[in-house]
Amino acid sequence: MSIAKVKGATHGSEKIDRQKFLDINQEDTLFIAIGNSARSDDGLGWAFLDAIKEMKNFKGKTAYGYQLQVEDAERLSNFPKVVFIDAYAGEDDISFEWEKTEPVNDFTFTTHALTPGAVLYLCQDLYEHHPQAYTLKIRGMDWELKIGMSEYAIQNLNEAMTFFSQMIQE
Amino acid sequence: MSNKIVIEPVTRVEGHGKVTIHMDKKGAVKDAFLHIVEFRGFERFIQGYPYWEAPLLVQRLCGICPVSHHLAAAKAIDQIVGLNPKDLSPTATKLRRLLHYGQVFQSHALHFFYLASPDLLFGSDIVPEKRNIVQVAIANKELAKKGILMRKFGQEIIKAITGKKIHGIAAVPGGVHKTFMPEERDYFLNGKEIPNIDTMIEWSQEIVEFIKSYHDKHFRWLDSFANYPSGHLGLVSKTGALELYDGRMRAIDGDGNITLNDVHNDDYIKYFTEGVEKWSYMKFPYLNSLGRKNGWNRVGPLSRMNVADSITTPLANQELATFKAYTSGNPNNCTMHYHWARLIEILHCAEEMKILLNDKSLLGDDLLREGTRRPEGIGIIEAPRGTLIHHYKVDDKGMITKCNLIVSTTHNNEAMNRAVRWVAKETLDRQKKITEGMLNQVEVAIRAFDPCLSCATHALGQMPLHVSVYDHENNLIDEHRKS
Repeated sequence: MSIAKVKGATHGSEKIDRQKFLDINQEDTLFIAIGNSARSDDGLGWAFLDAIKEMKNFKGKTAYGYQLQVEDAERLSNFPKVVFIDAYAGEDDISFEWEKTEPVNDFTFTTHALTPGAVLYLCQDLYEHHPQAYTLKIRGMDWELKIGMSEYAIQNLNEAMTFFSQMIQE
Repeated sequence: MSNKIVIEPVTRVEGHGKVTIHMDKKGAVKDAFLHIVEFRGFERFIQGYPYWEAPLLVQRLCGICPVSHHLAAAKAIDQIVGLNPKDLSPTATKLRRLLHYGQVFQSHALHFFYLASPDLLFGSDIVPEKRNIVQVAIANKELAKKGILMRKFGQEIIKAITGKKIHGIAAVPGGVHKTFMPEERDYFLNGKEIPNIDTMIEWSQEIVEFIKSYHDKHFRWLDSFANYPSGHLGLVSKTGALELYDGRMRAIDGDGNITLNDVHNDDYIKYFTEGVEKWSYMKFPYLNSLGRKNGWNRVGPLSRMNVADSITTPLANQELATFKAYTSGNPNNCTMHYHWARLIEILHCAEEMKILLNDKSLLGDDLLREGTRRPEGIGIIEAPRGTLIHHYKVDDKGMITKCNLIVSTTHNNEAMNRAVRWVAKETLDRQKKITEGMLNQVEVAIRAFDPCLSCATHALGQMPLHVSVYDHENNLIDEHRKS
């Protein structure tokens, strides 16, 4: 068993069943990274995906997006398992977080960006499909228009990659 | 002093806008403005970059219609390398056209299904939490599914040609940089992985029938809401047909009289001036011949239907005839008919895409042409939201020294202000209490234009909706926030 959250913060920590993790690292799993590498640490998700695609044991399918939108519900309907990867700007001291994600009816009046839970809800509602879903959130701190991430984000990215690499060792 | 209502930002438009409604002592609407309070400065900071980077850089203006900026810039840069549109190879021209039709198709689908349909299906009095595409999807599964797949089809066309759904690259000075492969074409024809182009045409026809049926039931609202006379501007072909990629500029006034008679793109600067107002960063283009007061034009689908004599594809042409017959051939000034016109264009784009996908020369490898360098280039295109003008000047080293962009939403600036005033006077006049439904009607009027404030100025990120009500002495008496 591995601890997904690190850097001393323990609230909400989830213990990962490694066998389940190996089940996720399969060819029928979609890893979808959300972000924008032109906005500094918002590129964390894409950078993570770039890195794990190079890992010898990685088996999943990958996709990149600026934000989750309604049509992603259709995309998800083609996969039994999905992993969302995104940067986040939490106030806590957690470098990354791995969590199970469930459908949530939490739509707001704006429509251009949906949460992973909202997309899963739509997928279930429109396509009667309920993929097993997880979210990997990697913490950043700089969101300005800039190519290249902060040192803090790169450190967190490395920790997330190390964690992921260990988890998919067979 | 007057009462003032502020709606900031306008939701479900691309970008950020603010509406202020000024009321007099008696509570009557005195005036109303759509303020654009953000500033981008794209025209300035592109200076000093090499001209060949322009088609790549300017598409960052927008995440919804980057292809339009990419192609308008490319057409201008073609001129800088000495080539007019007719000089490009047939393959390059057809690939650019296919890209453009895919872009208009997906953008119109985005607007109708995602942004406008909540207004049409639920009405303007529905609570804000219900006014979004997600609720449309939940309430109308089949409509939502088709909308999703139509947008996907257009995005896949863009991806196949540019490599990415957003901010990819296709056009280079003098042509395109990549051949279109048979397997890429077959993806859109065989229907194995996504619904094919015939299905897109079928669904486009269905959605045109939907809006006509909707109009039959709601014509009083659709015909009268924000109906006011205006000029209309758009590109037409040599035969006067609707032209989205390359044509001549035609404008008519509210009575249908020609005010700009099929002029060549390169001459636009002789005919237009951009006015400024101190309360908005967005400019106000107008025809010199008619002046600032009377020379403004609407652009976009409604205007294109008004200025075009015909459409080159048969199904859309038939729908244009029906559309024109409704106003007995006179200019259609019904703001809500933008939605109807937009769906006719969806059908036209689907038909055009089918023609191009079945054209063998689309797969050719004659991609680039060369010419003799010029110091200046102008590219004009019909973007989803209307006439888009890119104009560049370069120095001897090929560095951009001047850039002028007149985007669709800028052309519609005065028209949107008129629409806001119309709605304000109709719905807010002498009302003691401003309801959510009344405020939404202001937004409904603006949304009909499908404005892109990101393109017109600058918008990064989103803000909550902020509504403030001021009395006649400018004191804040009420405030609403949506987040």
